Amino acid sequence: MRLLVIEDEARIAELLAAALTRAGFTVDAVGGCEVARAAFAVATYDAVILDLGLPDGDGLSLLQKLRSEGNQTPILVLTARDAVEDRVSGLDTGADDYLIKPFAMTELIARTKALLRRPGGALGTVLVAGNISFDTVGRDVRVGSILVLLTRREAAILEHLMRRLGRVVPKTLLEERLYGIDDELESNAIPVHIHHLRRKLLDAAGTAEIHTVRGLGYVLTDVES
Amino acid sequence: MIPRRFRSLQVRLAVRLAILYVAATAAIIGVLIYRAYDTAGSLNERELSLRAADLARHIAVGSDGRAVLQLPASLAAEYDSTHDTDIFAIRGVNGLVIAALPQSFGALTRPWPAASDDPSFFHLKDFGSKSQDYYGLSISEDSVAGPVSISVARASGADMLVHSLLREFVMDIAWIIPLFVIVTIVIAVLVIRSGLRSVREVSGMAAAIGPSTTSVRLPDESLPSEVTPLVAAVNHAFDRLAEGFAVQRQFTAHAAHELRTPLAIITAALDAMEGGEELMKLRRDVARMNRLVEQLLRVARLDAVALDVSDTVDLNDVAANVVAAMAPWALTQSRTIAFADARTPVRIKGNANAIEDAVRNLVENALAHSPAGTEVMVVAKSQGSISVADRGPGVLLDEREKVFQRFWRGKKSIGHGAGLGLAIVKEVMKAHRGSVRIGENPEGGAVFTLVFPLDGAATPASVHNESS
Repeated sequence: MRLLVIEDEARIAELLAAALTRAGFTVDAVGGCEVARAAFAVATYDAVILDLGLPDGDGLSLLQKLRSEGNQTPILVLTARDAVEDRVSGLDTGADDYLIKPFAMTELIARTKALLRRPGGALGTVLVAGNISFDTVGRDVRVGSILVLLTRREAAILEHLMRRLGRVVPKTLLEERLYGIDDELESNAIPVHIHHLRRKLLDAAGTAEIHTVRGLGYVLTDVES
Repeated sequence: MIPRRFRSLQVRLAVRLAILYVAATAAIIGVLIYRAYDTAGSLNERELSLRAADLARHIAVGSDGRAVLQLPASLAAEYDSTHDTDIFAIRGVNGLVIAALPQSFGALTRPWPAASDDPSFFHLKDFGSKSQDYYGLSISEDSVAGPVSISVARASGADMLVHSLLREFVMDIAWIIPLFVIVTIVIAVLVIRSGLRSVREVSGMAAAIGPSTTSVRLPDESLPSEVTPLVAAVNHAFDRLAEGFAVQRQFTAHAAHELRTPLAIITAALDAMEGGEELMKLRRDVARMNRLVEQLLRVARLDAVALDVSDTVDLNDVAANVVAAMAPWALTQSRTIAFADARTPVRIKGNANAIEDAVRNLVENALAHSPAGTEVMVVAKSQGSISVADRGPGVLLDEREKVFQRFWRGKKSIGHGAGLGLAIVKEVMKAHRGSVRIGENPEGGAVFTLVFPLDGAATPASVHNESS
């Protein structure tokens, strides 16, 4: 799994590369837009980590250029909070995700893995949270090696939660994705599914837990984090 | 310091005009009165000369060869009726009185020298039956009986006509001149007012200029040319201020970069290390430093650059975003966050990022002050508010103003904050013309409420206490 880190600050690039290498990735680190474009010409990357403040050009314009050339490599943008505010619209045009500095290295690795697990991503079809794994093609869910039987909707909910591991999934989003316009939707349909899902994962001794964020939605956390 | 109203151009002009008019009026009236008296005096003189000549014409030589005065009946009647005011005496060459009215005047003039061709003037005091003052002249006139000295005089009260004319004239002037003064001053003030209208408009524009509108410059096309140098100078001042703001912004950006990068390096390096309790403590310290730097930069930005609060923001979305972002972190701290939206959109004019920042600061505080296992409640209300309720110790009444001061930390401060979070909240609310209120949670704890004006209705930015 090969990643390109575009970061002008040598020490940060070094530390990012070290952390990502420890996480099992092959990492190329470059310090500017030109070098980055040269790197794209000679190698294929599974994901890119892009710092927006580069000495020889704006990271956002590099991003837009790559996208306009048809490059679909998942890109995780690193930026400061005030830069987010200045350029929120820019981030919408091409970045797959962004992290606000300062960030924890574990968060960066988790987000990178999440990008690679997206449909068509390099990590393939198996989502992982704690000891729970979800094969999105075969639609089977295992805790450890034990297969857990889920209904179609329970599985769909779990997939959403696992794709956004550690982040809140709004209840309204689950309702939209799980139910068509014609489906009769009872107000407690999602909570009921969540309840069943929780019990099944608990019974199988799963090490990831579904938490309710009252009034908003649900978040899946693995016990380690 | 000159009192404010005397610095008004209108008042100054009106006062000066009024003084000028009063002085000019006094001078004009004085000259007019002097001229009137002067003219009256010469008129009197002419009349007396005419009368003398008239009297000389009516001198005839009597049958005894002596000169006699033969006045026509009408003239005699006239002199009769005014014998107290108009007096005369005619003396012959030999000094004998030919005729006199009254006779006592003849007796008086007898010792006088013979008059010459040039009139000589005299003044009689307390003369006659009524003891009046008389002014008169003596002149030598030719008559059929040879040259005669004629003295004519008139009582001083007799120029009443002239006096009454003057009085009438002064009264007329007194009437018209103040009226004229008032009308002129009113016209002058109106002209100035209309001339200064464009100045007032430009003043309005200048008043609206703030840190967020540093590009606005005052137009000088419609202004009086006297004011344009001032406007040009003000515009130049704005130019320099705008430059100052730009420098400040650059400084903020530079400071951000310079401080963040080494901190990011330390953070990443510590993340990569493996170690014991000391390393955990170091990581916490660096996290605190990161937060402090971010907050300092936030405060600097709020000070330097006015927030753009022109976007339409739904408070439900803003609050939900913060809850979603903070909930996972809260879970790692064994606390939960709950959210209740207003069920209807709560749209205000504002800056979503800044409001998120304010709510995030409140939620961070709430989580820091809540006991483990409790829930922080975030509520958006249709009245245009977002409140954050915790189950912590609450905020003491006498600390409710102080908590918003920069770098203020309570005596029982638990967290590791620098005391900037609530200062940021206050600044953000000020920029939105809203307020922050501190209340008590009925279930124990504190409730911080951000109140925004709905529909752009402005309420003064302030911090209130609210005891429920």
